[in-house]
Amino acid sequence: MTSLIELQNITRLYRSDEVETTALHNISLHIKRGEFVAIMGPSGCGKSTLLNILGTIDRPTSGAYLFTDSTGAQQDLARMNEVKLARHRARHLGFIFQSFNLVDDLTIYENIELGLLYRGGVKGGRRAVIEAAMDKVGIAHRARHFPHQLSGGQQQRAAIARAIVGSPDLILADEPTGNLDTENGAQVMQILQTLNQGGATIIMVTHSQSHADQASRQVDILDGQLVASVAQVL
Amino acid sequence: MLKSTFTAFYRSFVRHPLYALLNLLGLSLGIAVFIALSLFYRFETSYESWSPKLPQIYTIGISFHFPGMTDDTGIGSMGGLLEEIKTAYPQTDGTRYWPDSVIVHKGADVFNEQISLVDANFLTFFAVPVLYGDPANALSDPSHVVLSASLARKYFGVTNAVGRTMTLNDPEGLKAYTVSAIIADLPKNTEMKLDILRLITPQRTALHSNWHHWGSVQLATYIKFKSRTEANALAVQFPAFTDRQVGQSFGPDVVPHKLLELKLIPLADAHLVSPKLKAAVISLGVVGIVALALALINYVNLATARAGLRAREVAVRKTLGAAPVVLRLQFIFEAVLTLLLAFVVALSFVELSLPLLNSAGGLSLKLDYHADAIWLLSILAIVMVSGLIAALYPAFALSAFKPAQVLASSRTPGGGRTAGILRTGLAMVQFTAVAVAFVLIMGFMLQIRHIQNADIGFQRSNLMIVNSIRDNAVTQSQRDAFVAGASALPGVSYVTIANAIPGDTSSVNNSNIVRPGQVDSATESPTVNYSIVGPDYFELLGAKMLVGRVFDVQRGEDQMWGDKTTDKDRVYSVVISRRTVKDMGFPSPQAALNQTARFNDHTVRIIGVVEDMRFYNPNEPIPAKLYLFDAHASEAVVGMVRYQGLSAPAMRAKLQHLWRQIAPGVPFDVTSAADNLDKYYKPERDRTHLFTIGAGIAALIGCIGLYGMAAFNTGRRVREIGVRKVLGASAGRVVGLLLRQFLYPVAIASLIAWPLGWLALERWLSQFDDAIAMPLWVFPVASGVALAIALVTVAGVAFGAASTEPGKALRHE
Repeated sequence: MTSLIELQNITRLYRSDEVETTALHNISLHIKRGEFVAIMGPSGCGKSTLLNILGTIDRPTSGAYLFTDSTGAQQDLARMNEVKLARHRARHLGFIFQSFNLVDDLTIYENIELGLLYRGGVKGGRRAVIEAAMDKVGIAHRARHFPHQLSGGQQQRAAIARAIVGSPDLILADEPTGNLDTENGAQVMQILQTLNQGGATIIMVTHSQSHADQASRQVDILDGQLVASVAQVL
Repeated sequence: MLKSTFTAFYRSFVRHPLYALLNLLGLSLGIAVFIALSLFYRFETSYESWSPKLPQIYTIGISFHFPGMTDDTGIGSMGGLLEEIKTAYPQTDGTRYWPDSVIVHKGADVFNEQISLVDANFLTFFAVPVLYGDPANALSDPSHVVLSASLARKYFGVTNAVGRTMTLNDPEGLKAYTVSAIIADLPKNTEMKLDILRLITPQRTALHSNWHHWGSVQLATYIKFKSRTEANALAVQFPAFTDRQVGQSFGPDVVPHKLLELKLIPLADAHLVSPKLKAAVISLGVVGIVALALALINYVNLATARAGLRAREVAVRKTLGAAPVVLRLQFIFEAVLTLLLAFVVALSFVELSLPLLNSAGGLSLKLDYHADAIWLLSILAIVMVSGLIAALYPAFALSAFKPAQVLASSRTPGGGRTAGILRTGLAMVQFTAVAVAFVLIMGFMLQIRHIQNADIGFQRSNLMIVNSIRDNAVTQSQRDAFVAGASALPGVSYVTIANAIPGDTSSVNNSNIVRPGQVDSATESPTVNYSIVGPDYFELLGAKMLVGRVFDVQRGEDQMWGDKTTDKDRVYSVVISRRTVKDMGFPSPQAALNQTARFNDHTVRIIGVVEDMRFYNPNEPIPAKLYLFDAHASEAVVGMVRYQGLSAPAMRAKLQHLWRQIAPGVPFDVTSAADNLDKYYKPERDRTHLFTIGAGIAALIGCIGLYGMAAFNTGRRVREIGVRKVLGASAGRVVGLLLRQFLYPVAIASLIAWPLGWLALERWLSQFDDAIAMPLWVFPVASGVALAIALVTVAGVAFGAASTEPGKALRHE
């Protein structure tokens, strides 16, 4: 497997007027294309901060974030400007959130379309691509509905469709089953498994050991530091 | 991308109708007021723009600097001024417009019309749009008339009446005239009424002894110049020219141009030459701009407030790769769509409200999409540019949200401290404007009511003015017969003949009055406005006699001098007004009684003093008056009839019946004194109506903005309200908390409004001669009303939020 991400000594400090908090301290992590990594740790340990940095919606205070794209070109995202980072997110990343974060005013179809909107390139075949993504997560019959008309499980499947519609290099999932019941949580994990088996790289933050067990590697964080990175035999 | 923006825009309207409605309604109302008042402003500032020669044409104005008279510049000149200017400056290209009335005979019927006596070059000078006939020669023959298209249709049933004849009766007698040309009807924004045009003839000017009398004003004189420099070159020569022409006739030691200042006024500025009128028009223009500004403030407030609610959408879009610039473009594009939609809605508001506005404001405004296309586009451009500048802030504020923070927070971001301060600041600006508007509306209404009900020195009700008496065709015996006949009518208490007419300045004459021992000089002795009155004049008006007596037809000395019966050694009786007593330097009316003075080359004795009577504009001081008595007055006099016990229409009908018996060849023309005077009050009242409508809508916009803000802020605090209620806060306390948040800025704003309102109201009141004292109570009342409106607006939202169950509130978001 080729390299996708290399984090080198990533530190993230939050400063307010009086207090300085270290959210992440000297994290170094190497992730290969096609891996399914589960990040675990107690609340407030820095999991979501790490995922936000991986998703480039937050910046490390120090350290390097090397990203290798499918052509083999490597760039340090920690030093990239906002415009380029936006383009990077549009082309290479897909996000899945605990609270789905679908846009209330848009239909499911339009929400999924958002995943292509800022990407450029896809024009004529957009409808087919969106329909294919909806089929993959079994949400096609809800295309014309608004998010509030759907159950939590359906909303999360729609969010997954939005994350995968642009065939990203990396899918980032922040507690994707956190707001779902066991059955819907299992369905979502099944979809992620299938996507991973199809070649997608997934990094998932979770509190659930059973869901973490379904990943190919588990990374444990405690108090902002990486304490373990263990490959798992599935 | 464009489709996605359209979708977002469309959905925000469909899925958030309250927000969309508030936003659209506020913007549309503001734009509508702006469009309507821009229409008014354009109408008032585009007088005579029907003439393509407008930029080159100047008109003569005069400022009189006589003691005791206002220095205001009036448009107009003596009849012979142009001839004198042409003699001194032969290259002068000028023309004259002299409106007068004429009787038109059509079969057995007679009609009163206005005739415009003009110079032969009038049509080409102004490039008047001529439909039929030769503009260069149409007026050169004194037996020709030019008609407007509508008048041609009225008398001949067709527009092209060239070659037809019509019979007119004017001071030159009853004659038939040939129609030589037809001109298009002029638009309403003109001071000229071009219905019938005829050449000014030597026969006509010979009838006017004042034709070359410097100081008299008969008509409008226009001069055309190739450039402003050329105009200025003539204007600088006016003082020397005036001194040469007037010579010694104003007095031995008088410099004429210091008393009578000739001015060249660009024709485009002539309509608003009165600084008061100009200020009134400008203030209404300012109301339009303020309404637009308030609407845009609303837009910014609602958009930034809503930005908070859209933060999650923005964060998601950013996470999905939208660059800030793309988001900014999206929000600006949404603003463009909103503004365009609001503009269209505003146009329909304007269309729907124009009839109401025209009747309330005494206007004739209309929207002509074809002819006004360029103007409308420029109004649209102003709205779009100012709207887009306003939209930049929310666009930047929205696109600056940090996605990680927004997505991590369960609370809707409010745009931070700066946005909060900005919103509060803008709401304060809005409510300051609203409270100032309330102060002004109340102040205006009090003043208008005051001048309409004020004691003006005579009883204005139940008084008819018979203008037909003034017609040149009416003979002395007809006048006497009318007075006798009208006096015998049931319900009539007095009938008189006079040329001192409430609400009519057409026969105003001024002259100096000189006490014994004083120098007879136009600069030192007071100027009085004199009138000739018949028997029962003061009794008819109900004038208050201060001292002495009124004229008595039985006393020979009361009869004034006549053209042929003048006796330079006789002492003639005069009655003067309180103001004249003061101007002449008497300590009291009593002191003036029985005193003599020199007036118009005669010796006069003051036999009585009457209280000042306000016959003219309430904005202007009441002039010093002197009354002369003529038992059979004939020069420019009207009939006045005092009646009671019957309605105005019934009185009118009786007078008309009598008139037809006495003078069937002269059209009957009667007005009531109240209607005559109303022309002074109406413009002020109309402008107050317009202001009230504009300011009322501005206040509504302010309330819409406050409601939107309240709804948004309360929405953001649902969780906080839940926590407070869990901790035991009652609904009442929560309501109090929410109300305080809004009432503080509104209270401060209404206090800021006090000095601003004071200054504006004081300035406006200063234009009236008879102004009310500054009504102090309107300030707390305006603040109270503004606060009450704010309270009612916010209370609805606050009660809704405070009564939410805490459990539900805590599950919010």
